[in-house]
Amino acid sequence: MLRAAVAAQLAFMTLPTVVVIAVSFNPTAILSFPPAGFSLRWYENVVTYPQFQRAAVNSVVVTAGAVLLALPVGTLAALALERARLRGRHVWASVLLSPLVVPGVAAGLGFLMLAAALGLLRSRAVLVAAHVALVLPFVVRSVWVSVRNLDPALERAAASLGATPWRTFRRVTLPLLRPGLFAALLFAIVVSLNEFVVSLFISNRVTEILPVAMFTYVVNYTDPTIAALSSLFIVATFVVVWLADRYLDLGRVFLQH
Amino acid sequence: MTKAVVELRGCTRDYGAVRAVDALDLTVHEGEFLSLLGPSGCGKTTTLNLIAGFVPPTAGRIVIDGQDVTARPAHLRGLGVVFQSYALFPHLSIRENVAFGLRERRLPAAEIDRRVGEALELVRLDRAGRQRPSELSGGMQQRVALARALVYRPRVLLLDEPLAALDKKLRESMRDELRGIQRTVGITTIFVTHDQAEALGLSDRIAVMNAGRIEQLGAPRDIYAHPRTRFVADFIGASTVLRGRALAADRVAVAGGNLRVAGVALRAGEDVELAIRPERVQLVSAPGDNVVDAHVDGLVYQGAQTELTARLTDGQRVLVFVTEPSPVPLVTGETVRLHLPADAFMLLAS
Amino acid sequence: MRLLLLPAVVVLAVFAAALGALFRWSVLEFIPGSLQTGGLTLANFRAVLAPQYLGAVRDTIVLSALTTVLTLVCAYPVAYALARTPSRWVRSLILVLTLAPFFTGAIVRTYAWVLVLGNTVVTWPVPMLFTERGVLVGLVHFSMPTMILILAAALSHIDPVYERAAASLGAPPWRVFRRVTLPLSMPGIVSGALIVFAWTLSAFPTPELLGGGKVKMIANVVKDLGLDSFNWPGAAAFAMLALALTLALLTVVGRVSTGRAT
Repeated sequence: MLRAAVAAQLAFMTLPTVVVIAVSFNPTAILSFPPAGFSLRWYENVVTYPQFQRAAVNSVVVTAGAVLLALPVGTLAALALERARLRGRHVWASVLLSPLVVPGVAAGLGFLMLAAALGLLRSRAVLVAAHVALVLPFVVRSVWVSVRNLDPALERAAASLGATPWRTFRRVTLPLLRPGLFAALLFAIVVSLNEFVVSLFISNRVTEILPVAMFTYVVNYTDPTIAALSSLFIVATFVVVWLADRYLDLGRVFLQH
Repeated sequence: MTKAVVELRGCTRDYGAVRAVDALDLTVHEGEFLSLLGPSGCGKTTTLNLIAGFVPPTAGRIVIDGQDVTARPAHLRGLGVVFQSYALFPHLSIRENVAFGLRERRLPAAEIDRRVGEALELVRLDRAGRQRPSELSGGMQQRVALARALVYRPRVLLLDEPLAALDKKLRESMRDELRGIQRTVGITTIFVTHDQAEALGLSDRIAVMNAGRIEQLGAPRDIYAHPRTRFVADFIGASTVLRGRALAADRVAVAGGNLRVAGVALRAGEDVELAIRPERVQLVSAPGDNVVDAHVDGLVYQGAQTELTARLTDGQRVLVFVTEPSPVPLVTGETVRLHLPADAFMLLAS
Repeated sequence: MRLLLLPAVVVLAVFAAALGALFRWSVLEFIPGSLQTGGLTLANFRAVLAPQYLGAVRDTIVLSALTTVLTLVCAYPVAYALARTPSRWVRSLILVLTLAPFFTGAIVRTYAWVLVLGNTVVTWPVPMLFTERGVLVGLVHFSMPTMILILAAALSHIDPVYERAAASLGAPPWRVFRRVTLPLSMPGIVSGALIVFAWTLSAFPTPELLGGGKVKMIANVVKDLGLDSFNWPGAAAFAMLALALTLALLTVVGRVSTGRAT
């Protein structure tokens, strides 16, 4: 009986995905399921629609910028959190993770107001800054787990063998942090690429990233173009998550054994 | 013939490619204390899990009181189980823990109260009722686990290495208490352990297990004095196993000496393995029957005895427990004479 | 070593500045029709309590509560299966199906429900799209992964030996669940419920797309005031309210998690 309940829930969670993918192949502009035929025109539309093209570029730029900034910042913070002698370590941890807690609309509106006050309303810099702040908690968390599992004796051993602090970091610490860094990279990219609420507030037609462009499209048009774009997102995400589970054993990340 | 309470008939349990229990046959009699003894991985805990109903057998049947319970789920088998980690419910008090099984049997509250009180008195914990398991020591938790399993008078008591987590002194006192309670209550008990001293001291019968099979089943004295295989000889107590060639029905050539072996009928010319307990080997000063020369390789002083490792002329090692003070001076590197009494030899199956 | 925190502090300072701007605007007077503001005032917070807005607050709380309860009931079996299954394959399946929606982004997930609830697959006996019912379904779907992961983590910390012990004492599976598993998983349930409740309070894309303007939660009101009416002070006040509620709830979670560590 448990199995039936679980299967039902998994079906509930997956049903919309199936529908979206099916609808994306519909030859007509009417949203129907099952699709009346098979056509790739909506995928074509996705790729040729100029606003999507611009938004896709924006997404890549913003995400790349955010990740390039957040990874080193977060890694250093994770190292400090675990290794430095801090009074009130828990407080620091909470502070570093705090952006997660703030409602998207509050952060979005706040950044908009900050940008207005600084005269930066049309700049991508604010967008990147916001993304860095939003992505940072994920990076810190992922790397922190790895740092916690890193035996300081290994770094001491390297030092005793003659390695300078920088060489130790490069040849011992960094390689051992690889699983955490990889997870951090993954999380950072995914969170930034999908970030919607905050970006909605602080971007305009020129600077908007892909999810915002999709939102605008959905509100105004009802053809399956968004279904096609969504399908691309879904497939890409499934592949990434499946790979992550194969190589990182996600069970170990979330559960205790 | 005492009544058979638990029977395992041809029970096999596989975990993928691993056969944890291999076509096991076992009968447990009314009121007896039977130990399943063996090293880790021998299948003793799996056997217990089969009896308790926690895992189904891949093949074979489990019979309790003449009824085939193989398909019956654990909660309907009416047994009492004491787990290695005690498994006391952390969110319930001691009294509520002990009352758990009674509540499942829908007994009236007053009756439950009375029986819980009795059970806690039996294990001398009647004053700890309101506390939580985490507030008790290991030994006390173990007694609560016992009370919880016994309070509803199950048919059989199953214990999975219950003393393993306790320190030495506590283990010994709990061992005695356990035996006392078992005798008082008279319940059929199956005890899983890897500690042969425990098994020897507690059991009416011991089943020595290895690789999913029972190598030998019998009373402690029988198993100790007459181990049938090398594994049993090694696992129960210490022993030396000597290889030799039979010269006649009762004579064996070992290390250049012609030794008499009592109580066996050997065939001349065949290779034999004989085990001998280290406490049976004697140090003598003069040559004689069944006396061999040996070189002192190692000495470990243990207080009441010294453990002497000696090497015979053919290179075979003999372990000797010499009760202190030693009758003969012991110096590493020197030669001593060992007397191997004819009736101390135990013939092992090849 | 402590200096390594500096870059992160800079980033968070920027974030704090954004929240500071929010706070500042929430206490400035709104001048309709322009982005100019008057002096300091608490009028915006009083406006929050106006009946039309209070309705949105009430709806938000009710919807969030319903979402939490439904998500809990739906997620528990999946979490249990995830925590207890011996099969690596089943665990992977559940994890992938649970995590993938998590990572596909709000628009994609909400759009999918626009399709399903909008009579694309089946014609619903009662209207689903643009109703509170529809929004509820979307919100539950959105919260499932979070609840599943939190519950599964809590359940995986419960030693299965307790369930065996209860069975050996005569409890059938349903009673084992009720008397042992459920009570021992209570800290996880409370954490999960509070977290889902807090996040749902601030939900935006789901009510925005599935509500079609007819269902307004706090976040939608913020957007309306801020981006449509350009009433930045009013929007700020509302956003501060959402922030305050979320912080309060998460403080409770923190207390519960540390206090109930069995």
